[in-house]
Amino acid sequence: MAGDLGTALFTALGVLGVLWVAYLTVTQGVPAMLATLVIGVTDGSIYALIALGYTMVYGIIELINFAHGDIFTLGGFIALPLLALFGINSGTRYAPVLIPILLVVMIAVMAINGFVNVAIERIAYRPLRNAPRLAPLITAIGMSFIIQGTMYLWRGPVNLRFPNLLPDSVDSRFTNSLIDIGIKDVAVVASTVCLVILLSLFINRTKLGKAMRATAQDRDAAQLMGIDINRTIAATFFIGAALAGAGGVIYALYFNSIRFDLGFSAGLVAFTAAVLGGIGNIEGAALGGLLIGIIRALNERYVSASWSDVVIFAILILVLVFRPTGLLGMRVPEK
Amino acid sequence: MACGGGTGSSSGSSKGTIAIGVDLPESGAAASSGLPTLNGVKFAVQKAGSSIDGWTLTIENRDDAVGGSYNADKGVQNVTDLINTKTVVAMVGPFNSAVGKAEIPIANPAGLTMISPSNTNPCLTKDLSTCSYHPQDLRKGKPNNYFRVVATDDLQGPAMADYAYKTLGIKKIGILDEKTVFGVGIADAFQAQFKTNGGEFKRDSFDPKTTTDWRSILNGFKSFGATAIYVGGTDDQQACKPRAQMAALGIGSWPYLGGDGIETSQCIDDAADSAGGVSATTAGADAGQIEAAKSVITDFKKAFTGANDYGAYTMSAFDATNIIIKAIKKALDAGKDPTKLNDFREAVRANVAATSGFQGVLGTTTFDKNGDTSAKIISVYGVKKVDDARVKAGDLTCGKSGGPNANLCFDFIKQFNFGA
Repeated sequence: MAGDLGTALFTALGVLGVLWVAYLTVTQGVPAMLATLVIGVTDGSIYALIALGYTMVYGIIELINFAHGDIFTLGGFIALPLLALFGINSGTRYAPVLIPILLVVMIAVMAINGFVNVAIERIAYRPLRNAPRLAPLITAIGMSFIIQGTMYLWRGPVNLRFPNLLPDSVDSRFTNSLIDIGIKDVAVVASTVCLVILLSLFINRTKLGKAMRATAQDRDAAQLMGIDINRTIAATFFIGAALAGAGGVIYALYFNSIRFDLGFSAGLVAFTAAVLGGIGNIEGAALGGLLIGIIRALNERYVSASWSDVVIFAILILVLVFRPTGLLGMRVPEK
Repeated sequence: MACGGGTGSSSGSSKGTIAIGVDLPESGAAASSGLPTLNGVKFAVQKAGSSIDGWTLTIENRDDAVGGSYNADKGVQNVTDLINTKTVVAMVGPFNSAVGKAEIPIANPAGLTMISPSNTNPCLTKDLSTCSYHPQDLRKGKPNNYFRVVATDDLQGPAMADYAYKTLGIKKIGILDEKTVFGVGIADAFQAQFKTNGGEFKRDSFDPKTTTDWRSILNGFKSFGATAIYVGGTDDQQACKPRAQMAALGIGSWPYLGGDGIETSQCIDDAADSAGGVSATTAGADAGQIEAAKSVITDFKKAFTGANDYGAYTMSAFDATNIIIKAIKKALDAGKDPTKLNDFREAVRANVAATSGFQGVLGTTTFDKNGDTSAKIISVYGVKKVDDARVKAGDLTCGKSGGPNANLCFDFIKQFNFGA
């Protein structure tokens, strides 16, 4: 019943949204719309990377890991000293020679972040795996504050300037009368797309991926089939944190700034994206992230930024009330 | 000698001691605000020869910083302590408006005169609709004991609106705020004056916690036809982050204007490669620009030779102290007895309140009934590249040392006098 109503409501909203975009394109011009979509898609890619970790963890142990947003920030924080090892400081500029260094640092951040999250799972979530669902949720919120507080103690409350290592000069931009897009924008979207494809291949084609799907579907049965549940869940936390860490580095490279409390709100927005796409659903998280990014950009360009949070969290509530399975359907264990 | 137990009676002829209390943040990171200000008080007392009409004049100094930043509770403790100190007849301070808000209700019933060298929050003296507290509540019906020698924040917005419209010739502007009481208030004040001048604006607000990308808002301003941005807010509420994102949109050369909340090192760093073109107002005169102040500053620098002895509020503290010294002298001349503490404090308070046409370093001060000065000067500063020597001199607000913007500093551009 609620499902039918939800489908109708979201179809109607979708149609209205497309009509609105068409109307704005006609009245305000194509270049303005394309510029807004470029902004929406780049921001949305970053939300998507965070949303993936939320959704994977929820899919496998039904925990909303509120510390996930802070794991995202941690990625950017870890990258700074690693870059400094290569002599890169806040004043360093793009040079082709930096690209391999950047890749090395990115992989290192993903690994470190992954191990941190595995440790968090081992200490704070695993002992509570069979406790009432509220208990791990509260430890997750506690973990969020601990990570945030640690980053605050480490680097203080200020915006940290992150080196501008991606090309952003005028000739790095593709510009014509309709669109203006930089290599920086393309790099962000391309790295997100690569990571999502790799993740999707991993989950669908590898043995560990199969184990994850099996554990998500029915933990006890998976265990009876000889799957090491603890190892599988730890792997899920590792991959989620690695993606969030990559997201943190990409965010910092794109905006050249990072702050200790960034992850809390970014995490909430990404959580909304995961719910919009259908929590537990990988493709849904990516789609939700992009949609939230685009909706936010459209709102800020054509309505008012004062409404941004209202719009985004109204979406969260509408989805939870009228279509709790999200746009692409929730992947929940069948019991 | 220095270790002797004398308590001021060593001169033999002194009739006793009169002290001026001081409450400023003087330790840790806050020392850079408090200590140069304290030096202004010391300099004024020195210039008076440390005596008034045969009475020894001293300073009772208290530090309200805890863990490196100002602390209102510590300020209240200090003021209570100063009230209980039998020699203290008036005080200079506090430095921060939030401390002032906590201290006025304590000092007021005791009749202790306070003159702040630096409090700019209008709510301490004016009953404005944007205020979350009101001056009459702080004073509870007693005669006013609180005065200040600097202009208030509510004049910053109008000053920048005049500068933008009349000096820079901006006719259309985008106005942003970060949804805080301060940010919205100063942006409203800017907007009203800019409109009165005949300018057009587009207004938007962002949430500093959840906003990381301002480009869509900025694009909106661009298609509105704006040629500059005014931001109401402070650096810690991300008021300077939008600036860094303007270059990629091809609008990095627009002026980016704001209040004293962005006249900070952090703002210069947050604005990254686009820090040039950021301008900000501060409530107060730049003493370095006032002809009459130059000889006093030269004298001061001979007496206080340390690199960081002089600061933005040293001369305000000097003026505030001289107003108090003049009021003490007037009370003594009228035959008041400093040993009758309450009477004497009241006489000093009444004399300070009656201050009219006082010729100070920063201009002429007449206190109105609220305790505000008639010298309503707002200064405009713009970010410019300066050489190492000026950065080292320490008079300017510059990007973080060692960082890529270390040589970009807020330099004086212009001042507005609303009192004239």
